[in-house]
Amino acid sequence: MKNLVYIRGTKEGLVLQLDDQCAYTDMLNELKAKVSDPALDGSAEVQLHLGYRYCTEAQYKEIVATIQNNSHLRVSKMRSEVISVEESNKRIQERQSETYVGIVRSGQVVKAEGDLVVVGDINPNGRVVAGGNIYVLGRLKGIAHAGAYGNREAVIAASWLEATHLMIDDLIETMTDELSVLSEQPEMECAYIHSNGQNIVIDRLQELRYIRPQISTFKGGS
Amino acid sequence: MGEAIVITSGKGGVGKTTTTANLGTALALQGKKVCLIDTDIGLRNLDVILGLENRIIYDLVDVLEGRCKVHQALVKDKRFEDMLYLLPAAQTTDKNAINPEQMKELVTELKKDYDFVIIDCPAGIEQGYKNAVAGADRAIVVTTPEISAVRDADRIIGLLELEENIEPPKLIINRIRQHLMKAGEALDINEITTHLSIDLLGIVADDESVISSSNRGEPVVMNPANPAAMGYRNIARRLLGESVPLMTMDKQNTGVFSKIKAIFAK
Repeated sequence: MKNLVYIRGTKEGLVLQLDDQCAYTDMLNELKAKVSDPALDGSAEVQLHLGYRYCTEAQYKEIVATIQNNSHLRVSKMRSEVISVEESNKRIQERQSETYVGIVRSGQVVKAEGDLVVVGDINPNGRVVAGGNIYVLGRLKGIAHAGAYGNREAVIAASWLEATHLMIDDLIETMTDELSVLSEQPEMECAYIHSNGQNIVIDRLQELRYIRPQISTFKGGS
Repeated sequence: MGEAIVITSGKGGVGKTTTTANLGTALALQGKKVCLIDTDIGLRNLDVILGLENRIIYDLVDVLEGRCKVHQALVKDKRFEDMLYLLPAAQTTDKNAINPEQMKELVTELKKDYDFVIIDCPAGIEQGYKNAVAGADRAIVVTTPEISAVRDADRIIGLLELEENIEPPKLIINRIRQHLMKAGEALDINEITTHLSIDLLGIVADDESVISSSNRGEPVVMNPANPAAMGYRNIARRLLGESVPLMTMDKQNTGVFSKIKAIFAK
């Protein structure tokens, strides 16, 4: 009979490869038997490779529970070759950058799933919310909320950063005098969550490529 | 077919009603047939400023509810021959007594007979505002050089820009006090226009005689020598399509004599 569960050692550690063609319950039973083997007594981190099997959130949890309840192994990573259409669309949307041209006036809210580019000012009491980063070609004088759906890596960049409130994920920073003194000069600035995870800090926009190198997706050039 | 202009501001007390009365009067003086509509139901003032309070028989709500014909409710201002009329607001009910569709119908009707229908909008952004903007083709936003008035103007401009039937709004900066502006104590004209980024239609100086003449029931614009009146007259001319340069506040102090001197100094 074909092996439904392989255990391999790779240079990144232990890998549990699960067959993606058999019935789910068969695979789960064999997995339980394999990890319960007394030979596997050492505690180690293991990666889960699901191949082309699509697992619901509940099934995935069941697999992890099966492994962790019956052995000392801990699942550190999961890899799957498939995602649902819904998830795929969501990812596309999150990566997309939306552009708003015009002024965001008092009382108006502009929202984007992914990155948001505003060409124009954001006036006091105007609000921009994005799942990703926010870039403002103009004066940001209102409220900006980047990474609104849990992205703590998100940044807010503006030609003039004079916001009343800056928010990234669940952190909020009200612009006190100390902070706005820095923006006396019309200098391009960006706001991001400090590596301590507690504060939103502001820096010159030129520093952005060192603070969040992953934002730059441009390949090539010289 | 005339055009309908709504005068609005968001914040109260910046001079919407005064501006309506003065622009209406200035346009009538320029030979245009003007109808002013007060939509501030429950808190009507326009009739008082025009000195027509005693002559109101029917009002806006009477017209919209069919208790009288439009022409019966219109109050003629006898000072301007046949040029200036007022449709007063009702005082005994509130803003929910009418709806935007009724207003639109009424304004369309009035536009047939008048060159300008000027609608005085109440403060706020609720029902009264919605009624006032319903029939308008153009909008004028009035603000003063105060941060609170400018913030509210920003909000109202945002709402006006969502209205599909209204042209991009124009700005009037009212009650300018030159000495404060010069000292940097009040927002200056440039700051306000870049912040709101809409076209400036005109500026009006703050002048005490605006208050005294309003109290007498005579719009200040009837006195051509008054600095505030000059502002209103210039705005009226711009509404008629003339290009009138923005008056500089300094000019009023220096006068003609120093201008002549300046020419010779070249």
